[in-house]
Amino acid sequence: MTRFALPLVAGLLCCTALTNAAFAAKDLVVGVPDNLTTLDPADVNDTLSQSATRTMLQGLFAFDKEMKLIPQLAESFTVNDTATEYTYKLRKGVTFHDGTPFNAQAVKINFDRLSNPANKLKRQSLLAMLAETVVVDDTTITLKLAQPFGALNNNLAHPGAMIHSPKALETYGKEIGRHPVGTGPFKFVSWQADTMVATKNTNYWKPGLPKVDSVTFRSVPENGSRIAMLQTNEAQFVYPLPSEMVPMVEKNPALSIINAPSIIARYVAMNTMKKPFNDVRVRQALNYAIDKNAWTKIVYRGFAGPLPSPLPPKLGFHVPQAEQYTVDLAKAKALLAEAGYPNGFEAEMFGRNNTNFIRGMQFVQQQLSQIGVKITVTPLEAGVETARVWGVEKPEDATVQMQYGGWSASTGDADWGLRPLLWGKGFPPKFFNVAYYKNETVDAAIETGIATADTAKRAEAYRVAQEQIWKDAPWLFLGVENLLAAQVKNLTGLNQVADGGLQIEEADIQ
Amino acid sequence: MLKYLVGRIAGIIPVLLVISVFVFGFVHLLPGDPARLVAGSDASPSDIALVRQDLGLDQPLWVQYGRFLSNAVQGEFGRSMKTKRKVSEEIGSRFLPTLYLTGAAMAWATLAGLLIGVASATKRGRWPDHVGMFVAVSGIAFPSFWLGLLMIDLFSVQLRWLPTSGYGTWQHFVMPSLTLGLGVAAVMARFTRSAFIDIAREDYVRTARAKGVPSRLVVWKHTLRNAMIPIITMVGLQFGFLLGGSIVVETVFSWPGLGRLLVDSVSYRDYTVIQAEILLFSLEFILINLLVDVLYALANPEIRYS
Amino acid sequence: MSTTAPAVTATDTIRSPLAEFWRKFLRRRSAVVAGLCLLLLALAAAAAPWIAPYDPAGFDYDRVLEGPSWAHWAGTDSYGRDIFSRILWGARISLSVGLLSVMLGGIVGIALGLVSGFRGGFIDSLIMRLCDVLLAFPGILLAIGIVAILGPGIENVIYAVAIFSIPVFARLVRGSTLSLKQAVYVDAARAIGVRDRMLMLRHILPGTLPSVIVYVSMRIGTSILTAASLSFIGLGAQPPSPEWGAMLADGRSYIGVASHVTFYPGLAIFITVLAFNLLGDGLRDALDPKLR
Repeated sequence: MTRFALPLVAGLLCCTALTNAAFAAKDLVVGVPDNLTTLDPADVNDTLSQSATRTMLQGLFAFDKEMKLIPQLAESFTVNDTATEYTYKLRKGVTFHDGTPFNAQAVKINFDRLSNPANKLKRQSLLAMLAETVVVDDTTITLKLAQPFGALNNNLAHPGAMIHSPKALETYGKEIGRHPVGTGPFKFVSWQADTMVATKNTNYWKPGLPKVDSVTFRSVPENGSRIAMLQTNEAQFVYPLPSEMVPMVEKNPALSIINAPSIIARYVAMNTMKKPFNDVRVRQALNYAIDKNAWTKIVYRGFAGPLPSPLPPKLGFHVPQAEQYTVDLAKAKALLAEAGYPNGFEAEMFGRNNTNFIRGMQFVQQQLSQIGVKITVTPLEAGVETARVWGVEKPEDATVQMQYGGWSASTGDADWGLRPLLWGKGFPPKFFNVAYYKNETVDAAIETGIATADTAKRAEAYRVAQEQIWKDAPWLFLGVENLLAAQVKNLTGLNQVADGGLQIEEADIQ
Repeated sequence: MLKYLVGRIAGIIPVLLVISVFVFGFVHLLPGDPARLVAGSDASPSDIALVRQDLGLDQPLWVQYGRFLSNAVQGEFGRSMKTKRKVSEEIGSRFLPTLYLTGAAMAWATLAGLLIGVASATKRGRWPDHVGMFVAVSGIAFPSFWLGLLMIDLFSVQLRWLPTSGYGTWQHFVMPSLTLGLGVAAVMARFTRSAFIDIAREDYVRTARAKGVPSRLVVWKHTLRNAMIPIITMVGLQFGFLLGGSIVVETVFSWPGLGRLLVDSVSYRDYTVIQAEILLFSLEFILINLLVDVLYALANPEIRYS
Repeated sequence: MSTTAPAVTATDTIRSPLAEFWRKFLRRRSAVVAGLCLLLLALAAAAAPWIAPYDPAGFDYDRVLEGPSWAHWAGTDSYGRDIFSRILWGARISLSVGLLSVMLGGIVGIALGLVSGFRGGFIDSLIMRLCDVLLAFPGILLAIGIVAILGPGIENVIYAVAIFSIPVFARLVRGSTLSLKQAVYVDAARAIGVRDRMLMLRHILPGTLPSVIVYVSMRIGTSILTAASLSFIGLGAQPPSPEWGAMLADGRSYIGVASHVTFYPGLAIFITVLAFNLLGDGLRDALDPKLR
């Protein structure tokens, strides 16, 4: 008994100390659904860990809250005509949290580390084209590329290319992911199991920032518990906010809801190589059977928008299609009869086993039952999904008939919204074309789109692709969900970007 | 006694070996490719191949098992596939929270269970017995995640008495340990009651009563002491079960313990962490059983081990 | 009554074991009530297609999350489905999960326990070590593993729950087998040349049943709860199945907004598990020869 009574008492004392301090300080707690994986951004692929590292580390460039490219640790740049040599002027007078000065040498060490495949960093591809980094002087650095690359600054704005203190890299080696040291507005304090704490960087190079004294990321997997934290002011910002909990937050005058359109498309992919989905009339019929407004209302309680084209409206080169699949059961039944299924058919639908997916799948199941199509819903746990859907080697071996899915094109560009999903050469396991959709027009358009930097040509290519895909209907086009988060009303300056990432630098608690 | 102990400890080794094979087979039977899950949702096939090689998953199974076993013998389990942190650190940081929570839950549950059990047994067939048993059994009948969420709504959101979730102060312990201990308290109460009733019929207790020993003394001195043996077994068993970390309670109250780690690592197919964790649970369970047997001998010197 | 035993009064008749069981069981009023409750529930489950006022999968998007009313006794859920009807239909699933999983685990466990206790020696220690391994494996993890390997679905939930009932049954039965093996009537049977299999099935098995029956009744409740926990972590019954645990897990986001969505399925689970446990307590008192 005494053995664990002691820590209890210690914890109690500790708590009193903490609450006393809390009155004076502005401490921001952010409630998030999952644990962070690592705090080395070069080795991270989840938005959540990226958001956490962004409080402490910075790159040469960054995105603002509208996802526009802005310089951060770089002041200016020049590039040669062939886009193979970039020279950056760096910001002066910036120091890392450990006192090491930020300079060209520090950038070189970081970029060489990231670009070297032997380091096996998950974000190596960001700088894979880098041939050589040259330190010109303390505040000037030149990057020489192996092949032309026009969008290097975009890549440098990705969290994966943020700069660690070279001293920290040397000291901690493989453990750098537990000891991030950067130039950002907050300094790393601790990361225990599910809680990461960072404190105000008093020497931050932007005057007047940050305004809060500390920021804490706490992972709270259960939705109800996370929202409860907000209600009791144990957290000031929580995300995601499940749509069914919106009324509860609305009831509380001290809380407000952040509701913004996202770039997350929701759809059901149909395996176009399998009967009966190999018949375009069947796929169109199913699209006509679904009431998209009801989907928005039932699955997201209204917090979602339409998907009037294969690309969501917020993505570049989106073209809304003229003829929409508005619900029309008679037409759906006629199309089914024409295709030889007057009495419908049976099929299985896969999807992830979380609440939203299950709710969406049940909705589609119910809607399709109106035209005699009987769906068996099979929720799959993440690991099982990789085995049954994404890891399948040959299209003939695929067992998937329908897949309730979603996609967020993390680069914000049309290419990444189509190529992984609907390109004829992108069948699993290579990419995620689980509709096994292959159309020559579409393939050609997608390939034209990546091969050129000419905006007009790209727009035309993606217009053609969207039109063809819409007609072929390899998906049931459901909608685009909104990003929902909740916060206390006296919190300002905390932004959630369309890709789901958080920006905390300017956050303040009034 | 010493010989018995040595024999028992030696007997643990084959059981652990079988478990290691079990665990290894189990993680590899789980559908899903850790390399793909670790590499992330938009990784290219070559990225995945790189990760697979990095994690040693391209080796034949028996090589992988051999490495796991030789590492395990040295008490080293490699690095987590997901976080690249040492497995020993990953588990180490979550062991204490689970241990404290288990301790707190067991402490109140055993105490409450004993009290209700004794009260019920001594007033057998009368209303304290019925009420006591009804209350105790009600404790088992709640789905724990529901109870947990209801308590958060009531005590944290409505009344503002307790923090919603997390780990740190004694207030944080109240709701999780209550939820976790409820089932144990019920089992203990019921068990104590029947152990008590059994013992009260034994000859020496009857003799004591017949000799005119005051009934309170009979209860506390003669009966309780002898009822202790089966009760210790039960406490040990329950403790073993709880130490596995309650997945449900730890999730509802975001307790940074082993149960949540296990769920996370199963969903990431983090083989190294799953294997190490299950081996640890099994070892704990076996050691507790051993400890219970030793306590037996101490509580009742008549039990001799040969 | 024999004239040579004048001490025996007329009321002290020798009852058959069954009558004796009933007499003692009926004295435990809570157990009787629990038993009646369960009987009623089983009847309701069986009659669900006829007595449920609505289709359990019938969506009504105009009546979403309505509180209890005359039209919908327990309100409607987030799809506008009638919760009362779903609970009635769900009783079939939840009770089957409880009964089938325990029966399955019980049969395997009893067989193992009988053989283990009767044969002794190497087989005994092998089986018992295997049980140790199974017991040492955290139960819910085993269930997660089984469901992950076999895929989600109510059948696999039943297997998962069944498997971790096995070792407890095996130990229980082994214990009673060991003591019964020494009993005089078993010795006598063996002496007249009854074969081993016969001995186990006809003479020993019935003797182990009282403790098994008690354990079964309690275990059913646990199984229903385990199925609910599996639903909580997303590995339980498949939608739109009205399994109680799935209803409870699905509705948990509405606590504080529309609490009736979880209240009624939660209550159904609570009452059922409570009833099985009270019944078990009553059976124990009635079946235990030591309790008079």
